[in-house]
Amino acid sequence: MRFTRRSGRLEARVEPVEARLLSTMASDLLELLGPGEDAGADPLAAMVGLSSGPLHQPDDPALARLLPDAYEDDDEASAEFRRYTEGDLRAGKRARAGQVLASLAPYDEGGRVPLDREQADAWLGLLNDLRLVLGIRLEVTEETDLDPPGDDPQAQALHVYGWLGEVQESLLAQLVRLPPA
Amino acid sequence: MTAPAELDLPDVDDQTTPERPWVAIVWNDPINLMSYVTHVLMELFGYPREKAEAMMRDVHYKGRAAVASGTREQMEHDATRLHAKGLWATLQQD
Repeated sequence: MRFTRRSGRLEARVEPVEARLLSTMASDLLELLGPGEDAGADPLAAMVGLSSGPLHQPDDPALARLLPDAYEDDDEASAEFRRYTEGDLRAGKRARAGQVLASLAPYDEGGRVPLDREQADAWLGLLNDLRLVLGIRLEVTEETDLDPPGDDPQAQALHVYGWLGEVQESLLAQLVRLPPA
Repeated sequence: MTAPAELDLPDVDDQTTPERPWVAIVWNDPINLMSYVTHVLMELFGYPREKAEAMMRDVHYKGRAAVASGTREQMEHDATRLHAKGLWATLQQD
């Protein structure tokens, strides 16, 4: 997959296998993030400041990386911050995954996917979220070999991780040349 | 029958002084691309490329960099924006 511009319009050139892979990963991310709406939210409680939002960093390290603590060594302040912000953070990430799925839907056999600036930002954010999740799962470091021998049990996942990085670099290279939204 | 409830007034953080602003810190991580970190700092804060790249290099080589400063409320807002972009950010009093 790479990003190009035709007559000033940004488009993603997507192979069929890439369209399916990216759609699957976007759906997996939605599953990891969980329901968008806080099902137990009580608007009356929220109105008087009794937010029912979460207080602790998620146990899953990948989810914790997507939804990090805002204070390095102040658990109480981190909890208070999280209570009021985590719902929106999750919702924003869900929205981006949904936007990418929607823009890819007509192209499950591949093709040139046209992207406006808002869609391009959603793609960039989603690609980054996917790399964060995969990178945490793979415990990558700056020295990790993304092209290990074929018998490495993580070889396939590392290839996907490396591919996501190349795709993100390609998109960034095009965004540099676009005016901001 | 219940006793009248005591009003639970919010704690006032009287350690906050105007002379000590709050800062938003971005921490190094082995996943985010250097080009992406630069892009985010330019986009969120309107920094010119050179300034954003210098901050990105501090993040990468020194492990962290303060990318914005202001009131605690402003820095909490900036932390939410950085988290939305997937950067690993915290805030603290400078």
